[in-house]
Amino acid sequence: MQLPVAFLLLCLLGIVQALSTAGNRLLVVIEELADKDKYSTFWSDLESRGYNLDFESPKSEKLTLFQHGERVYDHVLLLPPKSKGLGPSLTPKILMDFINGDGNILLALASDAPTPTAIVSLLLEFDIHLPSDRNALVVDHFNHDTISASDKHDVVLVPAPKALRPGAKNFFAGQSPDTTLAFPRGMGQVLGNESPLLHPILRAPSSAYSYNPKDQSETVEDPFAVGQQLALVSALQARNSARFTVLGSLEMLENKWFDAKVKAPGASGEKTTTGNRDFAKALSAWTFQEIGVLKVGNVEHHLNEGADQGLVELNPKIYRIKSDVTFSIELSEYNYDHWAPFTPPAKDAVQLEFSMLSPFHRLALTPSSSGTSSNSTLYTTSFTVPDQHGIFKFEVNYKRPFFTYIDETREVTVRHYAHDEWPRSFAISGAWTWIAGIWVTVAGWLAFVALWLWSAPVRSSGPADKAKKTQ
Amino acid sequence: MAPKRSGPSTPTSSSANLKSLSSSSSNSPSTSAGSSLSGSAASNTDATVILNHVWNRYVQNTPQRTKLLDAFLGFLVAVGVVQFAYCVLAGNYPFNAFLSGFSATVGQFVLTTSLRMQTNKENEKEFSSVSDERAFADYVFGSLLLHFFCVNFIN
Repeated sequence: MQLPVAFLLLCLLGIVQALSTAGNRLLVVIEELADKDKYSTFWSDLESRGYNLDFESPKSEKLTLFQHGERVYDHVLLLPPKSKGLGPSLTPKILMDFINGDGNILLALASDAPTPTAIVSLLLEFDIHLPSDRNALVVDHFNHDTISASDKHDVVLVPAPKALRPGAKNFFAGQSPDTTLAFPRGMGQVLGNESPLLHPILRAPSSAYSYNPKDQSETVEDPFAVGQQLALVSALQARNSARFTVLGSLEMLENKWFDAKVKAPGASGEKTTTGNRDFAKALSAWTFQEIGVLKVGNVEHHLNEGADQGLVELNPKIYRIKSDVTFSIELSEYNYDHWAPFTPPAKDAVQLEFSMLSPFHRLALTPSSSGTSSNSTLYTTSFTVPDQHGIFKFEVNYKRPFFTYIDETREVTVRHYAHDEWPRSFAISGAWTWIAGIWVTVAGWLAFVALWLWSAPVRSSGPADKAKKTQ
Repeated sequence: MAPKRSGPSTPTSSSANLKSLSSSSSNSPSTSAGSSLSGSAASNTDATVILNHVWNRYVQNTPQRTKLLDAFLGFLVAVGVVQFAYCVLAGNYPFNAFLSGFSATVGQFVLTTSLRMQTNKENEKEFSSVSDERAFADYVFGSLLLHFFCVNFIN
């Protein structure tokens, strides 16, 4: 009896402390613990949001992501090692297992040391390609910081990301629309076309290109990638909604770039402060599932008929064809530290499918004012069940970039009319002629029978016949 | 047993009945035939004469009960035609009502025709084992069954 209570208390304690929906155990893999202080603002930002940071060197003996087959950490922040590899406890397979076990990974890259093969092959698993020369960095001769990199042009200034496409939510826009991000000495990635799970968060400016500083030649021939092809920060959300983010430049997280003043070449005098701190917050919050997390609450469906009187059964197993049905689903979105009502971005809609093999209905769900509370939105729609019996399902399949996936199905049987559910024939005026037809036939028949019996032929031998019958 | 004994008695009685009928009914066709004779061609007159003859033969030689059957059959045809025409003109919704209404009439027609075949004196050889009473009882049973089904099916 005491053990469950203690366990419950422990769970409650965990809920109070964890501000991320996925847990608060964060492992930071950093090779030189002395370098830790360069990112102290970032660490304190993370700690203030409720994370328990655990710093480990990749060479450490006791470093392990799994214990007894369970994850030891909820999130991993991988800083690039200067040495050749990540060691035996962080092989690509273990990192893949970690993602498959719902763990989130934020991987930072840097161009000052060659990228280990383990990381390159891990990224290839996700269809993210790095430049073949391991020291490549992104330069831009038109959008660089003139204060810190007037000579090398390797601190690229990028405007804060726009929405991925119309109808997609932008989590990384920063405070103001003209926020500038400094991307110092970073490594660009090229994303494969095949994976629908892969999205760029930040693209390079159109005049940027990837370049190897060790290459001595004057001009760059056949660069790895140029312009918007280069993703500076990219994200993969696996099918289990675990998140994997690649940050091209580790230096972005350094204290000095959080509040650095930068100036673009053509800018008219004014120095601007970078939006790196907000971007780092949004990026880590998204990766560690503090934002963009959707939750399904109550899912209900019922018949419209008698719903006002409260007479209907909720979520019945069976419906009849052509009956009017209402479906509702409660959706919440996690917003740093609380569940908030979910509203899809403009030009997007949450849709309900009523399908048997293929959808018979695909309807936009509308938020209902009555069912919306302070931490969830109630989406409802009403429709008429199609004139087709079989096993149907209500399905809400909402998969959008940067949101965790929703795929809720409820299976119901749709039956045809029972024998006594058809309208009576006399209720349909069109049937009156045929009703009359039957009864006229019956009346005529009765008259005929009466006449037949009455007009029995006169028998000469009547009494004899009667005597015969009685025998 | 019974039909054989009653058999010979029916024609005499019905023909006795019919004589009065034919004397009254044969007058009107002859007058109409006369009027058509004056107005149209000779072939037409022949047809009228033939029809007249057929009618007279029918009236004179058909037993009373067979005539009653024929009258009922004619009535059923009329009712059936009305129902079918309504279906063509007004559409077949609700279809089960059309089916049951129309098939009540058609089914009744079929049953009545069967009764006519079984009770007709000319078919006595084929239906020697079925007496008129037996045939009528079957007919009543079948008709009641039909009415039950039709009323049930029209819902």
